[in-house]
Amino acid sequence: MPSHVYLLFTLAFYAVGALHVLLQALTRRKLLTSWTVTATLIGFALHTASLAQRWTEAGHFPAVGLHDVSSFLAWAIVLVFLMTYTRTRVEALGLVVYPVAFALVLVSNMTPAAESDDPILKSFFLPIHATLAFLGYAALFVAFAMGLLYLVQERELKSRSPRRLYYILPSLERCDTIGGRSVEVGFAFLTLAIVTGMLWSYRARGVYWTGDAKEWTAIIAWVLYVVLVLARHRTGWGGRRAALLGIVGFAAVVLTFVWVTVASGVASAAR
Amino acid sequence: MIILVGLSHRTSPLPVRESLAFVKERLAEALQRMRQEAAVSEAMILSTCNRVELYGRSDETTGAGARLEEFLCAFHGRPVHEIGPYLYRLTAADAIRHAFRVAASLESMVIGEPQILGQVKQAYQAAQDAGTLGSALNALRNRSLAAAKRARTETGIGQNAVSVSYVAVELARKIFGELRDKNVLLVGAGKMSLLAARHLVRSGARATVLGGRTFEKAEELAAALGGRAVPFESLRAELAAADIVISGTGAPGIVIRREDVEHARAARGGRHQRPLFLIDIAVPRDIDPAARRLAGIFLYDLDDLRSVAEANLRERQKEAAAAEALVDREVREFLEWQKSLDVVPILVELRQRADQIRRREIERARKRLGGLTPEQEAALDAATTAIVNKLLHPPTVHLKEIARNGFAAEQVALIRKLLGL
Repeated sequence: MPSHVYLLFTLAFYAVGALHVLLQALTRRKLLTSWTVTATLIGFALHTASLAQRWTEAGHFPAVGLHDVSSFLAWAIVLVFLMTYTRTRVEALGLVVYPVAFALVLVSNMTPAAESDDPILKSFFLPIHATLAFLGYAALFVAFAMGLLYLVQERELKSRSPRRLYYILPSLERCDTIGGRSVEVGFAFLTLAIVTGMLWSYRARGVYWTGDAKEWTAIIAWVLYVVLVLARHRTGWGGRRAALLGIVGFAAVVLTFVWVTVASGVASAAR
Repeated sequence: MIILVGLSHRTSPLPVRESLAFVKERLAEALQRMRQEAAVSEAMILSTCNRVELYGRSDETTGAGARLEEFLCAFHGRPVHEIGPYLYRLTAADAIRHAFRVAASLESMVIGEPQILGQVKQAYQAAQDAGTLGSALNALRNRSLAAAKRARTETGIGQNAVSVSYVAVELARKIFGELRDKNVLLVGAGKMSLLAARHLVRSGARATVLGGRTFEKAEELAAALGGRAVPFESLRAELAAADIVISGTGAPGIVIRREDVEHARAARGGRHQRPLFLIDIAVPRDIDPAARRLAGIFLYDLDDLRSVAEANLRERQKEAAAAEALVDREVREFLEWQKSLDVVPILVELRQRADQIRRREIERARKRLGGLTPEQEAALDAATTAIVNKLLHPPTVHLKEIARNGFAAEQVALIRKLLGL
């Protein structure tokens, strides 16, 4: 089966997850049932198969161009979500993750795959670098989601008349802890991704730094998250401000990311 | 068959229920008399402030129902015609469904309230102690209590506090998650603040009591909560260290001003962004309502706590639908299980098996005997049939007889085993 057929099935299973979690949020206290989790696991397996298939089809690791990037990012996000869920059992995270994973796979389904036979893409650095970077961004996305949940729950608590979300969302402290942990993990991956990216660049072109927009994105995000990680560790800083910075930091990442893809086109992602 | 006669907060006013309640001391006596006077083979009485219900077991329903009503009135010395209009009478499947719903607290005044389960348990225990609990009511006990527990754990009917002091604890959980090692500061010492503080301390929080005019009282309270007492002058310092503040003084004006809260926040250093939960249960209020606008400050007064309690109750009612479905399912299963205890299928199966063996043996005999005349055939058939019938007669009669008193599941299994079915 070609990769895009797998991807279509993946989309269907993620759609089931997204719809179910939203419906549950309207009616019941329990957001994730065994049905949702099973659908997600099947979707994730198909997704993995789709990526593997795409790897052989493209002849290089599938992390180039909007089609591959959005699919791979969704895969990383679902993976990090499943790991976070297994550890923490925070179901409300699904409210943010499912729609986003669905949207990313939808984008991937609707965009044509970019083909390139640039020899630089054959390097073994690409799979390592791209996997680290995407897992890092996925973890930072989870931090962003927990920041959102924090702010919503805070608003509910401040309002003093709880509505539906108050009952569904985890406690403020829990949002804060999981968000902080995700930032740490994301930051570690991002650091490794930058290092491997530099090594790759040096091996391919003889320079560590080309001044490319994508490199600037990573560096700006890295600096932002350094501040966040250090502030948390040194001063026990957290709560609302940390939640906000987690959101702003990720928004900055997304904006630069979009700008890079739109402004410099497909080729820049590989350059 | 199970017959139920009773009255509840839905059918009767409190004075009527009071006049028909059974006190614990006379429960054993009442159960014995109920079994005798109402001529039921099993008896159980559930008497709470919201309901009085008599559960009996009898083969004929109408007579037993009337006798139960008479007994209830006679025991309390009330005329039947006066009490009759408040009573409901349920039999068989309806009585069973009702018993399940009561245990699951679906019939309670506050849906999902936790006390009823314990009260139902005690009622069955009392019947067991009095020796009036038989196989039918015992089966009802096991299944209805298990269903009630399932409803409680698998749906949200038991979740979300509906009393003010519990609401405060739940809000604290929504803010802090774990309450272990959180600092609770008590300002003033009312009954309600003590209640809330006690819940918090039980969850691992540390209590500090701020002394008022009489420091001894603060020390007493601190000892009761396993915490420490501090003089009122250290309010600001303690406020800075606190995560949760419960204020319930009898002071006529504001005790904790907005500046105090702001100061406390600033003094928290790196933790100044961490939430601070202020609970003001004093009337008039102790904490300046303007503190509400500060970031990271969650200030709830008594009215706020009440409105959360109401919202919680609405949530519970939504969950009740899920619990209803679950209990319905359990009742259906129970009724089906009851049917399986019926003795008729055992008898049918026994007959069929005996006949099968008989035919097989005739077949074998025929092979050995060679050709038989029709007369001989008929004689052989009559003789073997007579043997089977004579052998099966006593167990058939006795099984039917015992069945009138009902079987427990183990008994049915034993009977089947003995008969080789």
